[in-house]
Amino acid sequence: MDKTRQITMIQIAAILVSTIIGVGVLPLPLFAVNALDSGAPLITLAAVLFGFISLLLLSLLGMRFPRQTIIQYSEQIIGKWPARAGSLLVIVFFAVLTSLTAREFGEVVVTSVLKNTPVEVTVIVMLLLATFSTRNDVTVFAYIHYFYFPLILFPALFIVALSLKNADALNLQPIWGNDPQGVIPGALTIAALFQGSFILTSVIPSMRRPQKALLASVVGMVIAGGLYVIIVAATVGVFGAEETKKLLWPTLELAKATSLPANVLERLDAAFLIVWVTAVFTTLLSSYFLTTQSLGLLFRLRDHKLFAFFLLPFVFVLAMLPQNIVQMYTIVRMVGRIGLILTLAYPALLLLVSILRKKRGEPVGEVAQR
Amino acid sequence: MTSTKSASPFEDNIAFIQQQCGMNDDFAIRRFHVFGQYPAVIFCYDFMVDPQALNFDILKAMMYLPPQLREADIKPDQLLDIVVNDTLYYYKIKLEIRPKLWIDNLTRGRTVILIDGIDEALVLETRQIDKRAIEQPATEQVIRGPREGFIEVLSTNLTLIRYRLQTSDLRVKVMELGRRTKTAVAVCYMEDLTNPDLVEEVHRRLSKIDIDAVTDSGILEQFIEDNHFSPFPQVQYTERPDKVVSNLVEGRVCILVDGSPLALIVPTAFNQFYQTVEDYTERFLLMSAVRFARLIAIIFSLIFPSLYVAIISFNPELIPTEFAVAVAGGRAGVPFPAVVEVLIMEVSMEVLREATIRLPQQVGGALSIVGVLVIGQAAVSAGFASPITVVIIALTTIGSFATPAYNAALALRLLRFPLVVLAGVFGLYGVMIGLILIANHMLSLKSFGVPYLSPLAPGIFQGMKDMLFRAPLWWMPKRPGLLQTQNLHRLNPDQPIPPSRNAKSPLDLSNMEEEER
Repeated sequence: MDKTRQITMIQIAAILVSTIIGVGVLPLPLFAVNALDSGAPLITLAAVLFGFISLLLLSLLGMRFPRQTIIQYSEQIIGKWPARAGSLLVIVFFAVLTSLTAREFGEVVVTSVLKNTPVEVTVIVMLLLATFSTRNDVTVFAYIHYFYFPLILFPALFIVALSLKNADALNLQPIWGNDPQGVIPGALTIAALFQGSFILTSVIPSMRRPQKALLASVVGMVIAGGLYVIIVAATVGVFGAEETKKLLWPTLELAKATSLPANVLERLDAAFLIVWVTAVFTTLLSSYFLTTQSLGLLFRLRDHKLFAFFLLPFVFVLAMLPQNIVQMYTIVRMVGRIGLILTLAYPALLLLVSILRKKRGEPVGEVAQR
Repeated sequence: MTSTKSASPFEDNIAFIQQQCGMNDDFAIRRFHVFGQYPAVIFCYDFMVDPQALNFDILKAMMYLPPQLREADIKPDQLLDIVVNDTLYYYKIKLEIRPKLWIDNLTRGRTVILIDGIDEALVLETRQIDKRAIEQPATEQVIRGPREGFIEVLSTNLTLIRYRLQTSDLRVKVMELGRRTKTAVAVCYMEDLTNPDLVEEVHRRLSKIDIDAVTDSGILEQFIEDNHFSPFPQVQYTERPDKVVSNLVEGRVCILVDGSPLALIVPTAFNQFYQTVEDYTERFLLMSAVRFARLIAIIFSLIFPSLYVAIISFNPELIPTEFAVAVAGGRAGVPFPAVVEVLIMEVSMEVLREATIRLPQQVGGALSIVGVLVIGQAAVSAGFASPITVVIIALTTIGSFATPAYNAALALRLLRFPLVVLAGVFGLYGVMIGLILIANHMLSLKSFGVPYLSPLAPGIFQGMKDMLFRAPLWWMPKRPGLLQTQNLHRLNPDQPIPPSRNAKSPLDLSNMEEEER
């Protein structure tokens, strides 16, 4: 058996789920109700489908070039220098995404649990955590995601299940929403939360059976998207659309509003947030891993470990650039839109050109038949 | 040959041995005549040999002609042949011509006999070392299961394994390690099961060790483990032959060292450290519950103090109000922040524990009473610690005692301290960061190529049946997949449970029918 191809289909699905579910879940219901008040679950579903297109393109590309990542096969498809420019854009984008994720979560922690800690500290701690773990190889990377996958999924489902006690189905009506003018930008903002799924392109070359990439992305998207829709529905169901608009992190408020039966823990928000550290960590790990690995491939280095610490100061400074939470979320939205072009249009272009030029990567021979 | 003064090579050889070993007072040299005419010398280390065998089976036999040859005339060139084939009542005889190796054999407790006119020396296995009896394993006691434990002598330990695993597929390869101690190290594996690459890797790592003294298997462990800086043990040790046997038939490799009662088992995954022999000898439902308790104990010993510190200092709103008030009341007179208080108590607990291990048993009991009184009662009434802290520390300590493997419990004990500090600085956030770091480290560890958190981490469902709970034996027909054994099934997959028939159904009984009539 090929020693470097160890990652299974389930692990890929777990990587996708734990990458997609991250700090974005906390303001997610806010984005959704701003777009289409009581139709929030519906618009989330639309965004999930939208986000799936990018994933679909990536898995089709990955199955066409099962031995390479996007950094490598783009050079075959559109030529050396245009591809390098594109790769550099991808790398810069994911470095920015990493920094924004760390900053966003740093703000959440500082606001709700560690009120006296400077945000710089929480951000650097998160980034250091990601840095240490990025220095592992891709197999360990897959193990990490697979290991945390239940820790991410179940607390979220748990909070949702407990909150149903306070939910009112009336809050979700009309399910089409009242005011459809903010639909498109809102859907785009939510779809931007799925950008982490770009990590798929880094792990396909290590997949045992790359043909299953498509199946893995469907499974991953169904789980992650399903969780998104459920969380939005639960939040709107509990608070109602208008109330949700006033909350900065409605999902966190949802945790705050629920309590365990038998009064074991008085409040769940801090506990939920702490468990959510794993979810944010996996998202951060994915985007940082993607950044460093792609940089390593771009410079034709044998491994990417060198970049993990080298990039850290830059990412940290990027994370500290926004002045406050409001400015940060403006930047998050903006970067999300730009990112959509990159994660959607760039793979689409590559796929189109590769079909037109009939380019195809070396298939994975004997491993494929196993 | 150093000396040239002597007349014969026989005297030269004697001089050589005498020069090498003669200045030791426990070295014996005895001259005699074979069959009353040929001069010969016996060399041995006095107290290492069996005097009975030396006197009667060797000396006596060689001094007299064997009865069937009474009449024969023995020529010098037949001498060696007759001595070996007709005279000695001894089955372990080697002929050795190189004088350097005579010395090697002597230091190992063998007897060397030189005969005038013969170049080769007779080397006889006469070693007799005092050894303790086979006792119950002190560190791995079970209620249900075999009671035998390894002792120091390698040959006895190998017998204990062979007697439980009576198959010719068991391979024992003995190598010699330690430049000065020349310790025998036995590598055991199953020829038709164990992955050959694994066996080769074990041999490769062992043979690369070049150290002067190997006094225990623990020395070898530190050379063959994968990550030397990890707090987690990556090699399992055991003093139970039955555990070694069950690991052998799972496809692992065992390493025994002469002079050490602890066998090493590689590769090792983390879940082996909380499994015990009893998990398999007792019925599965009960032992699954017990294993759960053990897992809770592990979690206690790792995170309980840090969780307490984090909640008390940062998030008291998490716990129910009445309890929070009680905790605050208990802490009213305590001058330190929770993190300092817990650290002080933890450190004194470690000191106490270390003290009880070193003391003789009779005194140890007294000390633990004093320790409990001081740490528990006095610390609280002196306003030094709050009662709830004492409860937390007690639970933590008991939790670490409940972990079956001492080395794994030690790792968790050690990791508790950074976690407490992190909890003191960052609260629950810090605890979580610490746990993620620990988990990531464990996920990246490998023992001889096998992922440390297997079967959890690569996600092998077959193996997960023996992870959190212990599935019934008939439900686990396969050997651990990651060991890549040559033969996968450990029981007949078509019929795991023998079919049962109701042999004594009341309906079949004839007297029952009679009664009814």
